[in-house]
Amino acid sequence: MVGPCGSVPVGADRGLSLQPILHGQAVMTIQYYVFLLVNGLSLGMLLFIIASGLSLVFGVLRVINFAHGSLYMIGAYVACTLATFLSGGSFFHFLLLLLVVPPVIAILGFVLETTLFRRVYQQEHLLQLLLTYALVLILDDVVRVIWGGDPRSVVRPDILAGSVSVLGMALPSYNVFVLLLGPIIALGLWYLLYRTRAGNVIRAAVHYPDTLGALGVNVSWVMTATFMLGCWLAGLGGVLVAALANVDLGIGMERIIECFAVVVIGGLGSVGGALLGSLIIGVGISFFQLPFGRWALVFPYLVMALVLIIRPWGLFGKPER
Amino acid sequence: MRGRMLRTALAVLVFALAAGLVVSGDCLAQDKIRLGFVADVGGIAATFYKSQRQAIDLFIEEANAAGGVMGKKLEVVVRDSQLKPDIGSNMARELILSEKCDFLIGPTSSAVALAITKVAQEFKKIVYFHTSNTELLTTTDFQPYMFQVVPNTGIEGRGIVEFVSKKPYKRFGYIGYDYAYGHTQWDEQKAKLKQLKPDAQIAEPVWVKLGESNFSAWIPTVIASNPEVILSSLWGGGLASFIKQAQPYGMFKTASVTSLFDLDMLRAIGKDMPENQLGYARAAFYAIDTPQMKAFNQKYYDKYKEWPADWAIMAYDGLIALTDAIKQANSLDSDKVVKALEGLKFKSLRGDRFIRAEDHMMNCGIYVGYTVKDPKYEGFLIMKDVVEVPAEKVWRSVDELKKIRAEKK
Repeated sequence: MVGPCGSVPVGADRGLSLQPILHGQAVMTIQYYVFLLVNGLSLGMLLFIIASGLSLVFGVLRVINFAHGSLYMIGAYVACTLATFLSGGSFFHFLLLLLVVPPVIAILGFVLETTLFRRVYQQEHLLQLLLTYALVLILDDVVRVIWGGDPRSVVRPDILAGSVSVLGMALPSYNVFVLLLGPIIALGLWYLLYRTRAGNVIRAAVHYPDTLGALGVNVSWVMTATFMLGCWLAGLGGVLVAALANVDLGIGMERIIECFAVVVIGGLGSVGGALLGSLIIGVGISFFQLPFGRWALVFPYLVMALVLIIRPWGLFGKPER
Repeated sequence: MRGRMLRTALAVLVFALAAGLVVSGDCLAQDKIRLGFVADVGGIAATFYKSQRQAIDLFIEEANAAGGVMGKKLEVVVRDSQLKPDIGSNMARELILSEKCDFLIGPTSSAVALAITKVAQEFKKIVYFHTSNTELLTTTDFQPYMFQVVPNTGIEGRGIVEFVSKKPYKRFGYIGYDYAYGHTQWDEQKAKLKQLKPDAQIAEPVWVKLGESNFSAWIPTVIASNPEVILSSLWGGGLASFIKQAQPYGMFKTASVTSLFDLDMLRAIGKDMPENQLGYARAAFYAIDTPQMKAFNQKYYDKYKEWPADWAIMAYDGLIALTDAIKQANSLDSDKVVKALEGLKFKSLRGDRFIRAEDHMMNCGIYVGYTVKDPKYEGFLIMKDVVEVPAEKVWRSVDELKKIRAEKK
């Protein structure tokens, strides 16, 4: 181990680590890139869970909800508060958070939709943006008042605190968990949208809201339900991030911009597009670190710009009629 | 006649009362030494403020119980600068003009400190900085009515490089937020490292998007260059997040992330902190072996039921220096106290120290050590085998100071 006398360098205790390293010189191998791919995919999945909500809400309500990031942040804070009551550590407690917190955010969404959003659907986009941006400021201050400025976090359950070996390299179990949860959510959303009557109604509301209304469906209820689903996803993302990183007042704004890029790349309103967009960004940032360093940060926006030039309606989106 | 007399009597009475008020007001002001604390109270500074305030309150309580300073009681007036330089300078003005404060105590944020030091100069009121540690305060932005009792960015950055260069570490990495301070710090550290250890292998630095709390995308890149020591400008909650996330990637089996392990950070990360990580503190209550420090720890713990964070120790040391200088000058006059401060030797919690006359910097170094679990402290790790890298080894020489200030003019 490390000694202050320095007789043994830190590197002496070599355990599970990135293998393709010889004599201190990093040798990049195919394994390393596969590892980066898996790491990036798990990053993308987390992004997808949040961004899919944003996309869904836009698809049905035609409102770009900037406050989506704030709802995600509130989800994270609620998770932190609940976790202190549960005095966490066990996987069961963590699952409980995953089950309880997203519905709480969905209920908050219900209140917001029925009192505020409903009033602006017929208004121009500028007014809608003003409303959602005002909500960002208000919700941020509400969080500041309730939770204060101290960073918080949820204790990772022990079972997810370790790591698994991917081609001889250590990948955190938590990333693996998110990597598995992402496709489950994606499949669930796909099933809901394409295999259930509710989904049919939601999809119909995207393209033919008037016809749907004429058929006797309560369109405004569909909108409320969709908004709540979007908030549910934001809340889920919040719980997942609270166990990963410190939660503070900045995390909402930090994520909403990336989510926006994801939604533009994938196509506004398309959940499949959000999945693809998230994975492109997650893998991209992870992959291009090494060759491009800090310029890897530009990647999401570069892709977004390219998509906007070549296919302005997004990869999976449909051109506006 | 009677009415007129009554009126005169009333007028005299009112006048006398008013005069009495003024006189007693004056007496009040002279009986006390008012300390204006321009503090960053909320947001990310909340935990810092709590420690600073507790230490200041403790000092005042003790000093007043011992009869005050020059027979005058101390009192503190607090204004919130909200981490904003413009608000900070307004609050400093208010403390000087409306609250009639005799001395100022600085904030947490360096940006706010740079604004306040200008106000202090304008009104010739002494301010001391205990947590905001930008080196600019004593170099380009130096003004005589200030002193600094926290190891500044230069002492910190060069100090840790000085330490690692004496150890057999060969491979170095860096991770930090992508913003001006991070880049300046790394450029300087890299240059110093190359100078002290020409055979060091220094990997490309890894720059993280400012404010990002999910480090997953950057961690494999840091590991890829297989460093033994990862220097970093991450601190506080961000550093705690990074360490927590990097651990399951196996990073700490082969490397140490080396940054500021202040008590608040150690408390924030708790038991998720791996052992044997090389780091440094600005003032480590558990490692400083002076009778003053030990007495302070006990008093602080008894009063607040927690151990003093670095910021508490430094805020307290600043008041020791300030009150010693006041006693030596036997005056509250800023110019006389400044004169006493220059070269002042005083018994700080951190040992016998002085304030360098040329830049009003206390000779305070950083405390370097390796993390370890200690049964004495529940809930957080401390550092063992702590040594101080003395400020005199790494602070700017007087010649350098002159050069930097001349370049600015």
